[in-house]
Amino acid sequence: MNQEIDDAVPEPADGWTGGLADLAAPAPPDFALGILRRVGIPAERYDTYVRVTCPAGPLLVAYGGAAVTGAALAGAGLTAETFEELYQDRTGRSVLPTEKLLPGLRTALRTGRARKLPVEFPGTEPADRAVLEAVRAIPAGQLRPLSWLAREAGRADATPDSLVGSLTRNPVQVLVPCHRVTYDDGAPCDASYLPSTGDALRTAEGLDMRHFKNVARSGTVFLGSDTTHIYCHPTCAHARRITPRHQVPFRTATEARRAGYRACKSCRPVTA
Amino acid sequence: MMEDKAEHLTDRLALDLDDGFTELVRLHAGPVHAYLYRISGSRADADDLGQDTFLRAYSALQGYSPERRRELRLRAWLMTIATNVWRNHVRSNTRRPVSVMNVEDTCDTWAEDGPGPEERAANSEDRRQLVAALSELSEKQRISVVLRHVVGMSYAEVAEVQGCPVGTAKAQVSRAMGELRQLLEPGTLKGVTM
Repeated sequence: MNQEIDDAVPEPADGWTGGLADLAAPAPPDFALGILRRVGIPAERYDTYVRVTCPAGPLLVAYGGAAVTGAALAGAGLTAETFEELYQDRTGRSVLPTEKLLPGLRTALRTGRARKLPVEFPGTEPADRAVLEAVRAIPAGQLRPLSWLAREAGRADATPDSLVGSLTRNPVQVLVPCHRVTYDDGAPCDASYLPSTGDALRTAEGLDMRHFKNVARSGTVFLGSDTTHIYCHPTCAHARRITPRHQVPFRTATEARRAGYRACKSCRPVTA
Repeated sequence: MMEDKAEHLTDRLALDLDDGFTELVRLHAGPVHAYLYRISGSRADADDLGQDTFLRAYSALQGYSPERRRELRLRAWLMTIATNVWRNHVRSNTRRPVSVMNVEDTCDTWAEDGPGPEERAANSEDRRQLVAALSELSEKQRISVVLRHVVGMSYAEVAEVQGCPVGTAKAQVSRAMGELRQLLEPGTLKGVTM
């Protein structure tokens, strides 16, 4: 409306701004939150997020009440601002930065054991949620194939693509450890991560992917022990304790069963 | 897109004050803080005055009808409140608002995309000079320049905060930029900063 007047006085011809834009220093992390507290907005009207470090770089973790409600790696071009907006779109709630850590979060990230950390999935479809809950049950330092995931999630009829789709939509990266899911041939899915991110997370958990690649290439899907006659996923804690001379590789569960082996009750291989 | 967001926000304020206000704080706490920091020259003042700004905004919004909330041009409105809060603070403090000696420009930022340590070292001297030069401007000019070039507001918004015609705001910014440039000429600031 004031366009004419607006143009009457020209900008400095060379558009010199003296680097003033760089002076827009960010507010202290708890500034916005302090305002809401002081104004008296009830804490249940908004969520907060902290910036922490995980083996794959900086991670933004949102939580409401006592449960984690979102997490995203900030390394791959994701700014805090985008994170806030995506969160808003997904959950319909505002999320504000804080410096206060959710109890147990740091330990969960350090150890990779995030299973006991309360996690909620606001705005996530029930079918996706079932898959993500199943992913949460994969112990640190272990891998599970998609077929296992389908059974654990109660979605035995789901196609690999739809499972991978659910993983891609993982709203709680790292803490819902999608990097522990592989295709049935043993290759990591890394649906919601860059491959380098998945590798960093797996390496931090002590998974030697080169070793497991060789295992998979040899056609070994399960590993049995000839002393116990139990077979496991190769990354299962029990399988890793089998000394080399007692290791018996199997290509299928049927093959193992025919040889008189039963499935491990910890890692629960798909027996079909 | 920015316009859409602004409209969306005034809608939320009209529908549910607490919900809209939370979003208002999320989006505008940073710019308001940056603005107050750069006109007052003190981070601590920006913290306190920023809180006051939003507290006032909230009480004002409580008294507004949903229609009125919907009509607000929020950014200019907030910056106007911030300006008043700061002016009141200066008046009640009687001492000079900005002295170059206590200008803190620490780089204890939270931004993940900020320059690395080396770049910062190279920039910090320029920054210090710029901050010092800014504090030499008149109050009106400093407000205009910071709103326009630090916060990144349009001239129409600057004019609204300053309560003047757009042309005047533009002239103010333009003159202030000229002065800043002069102040930044080598040698000009020496007596002031040391």
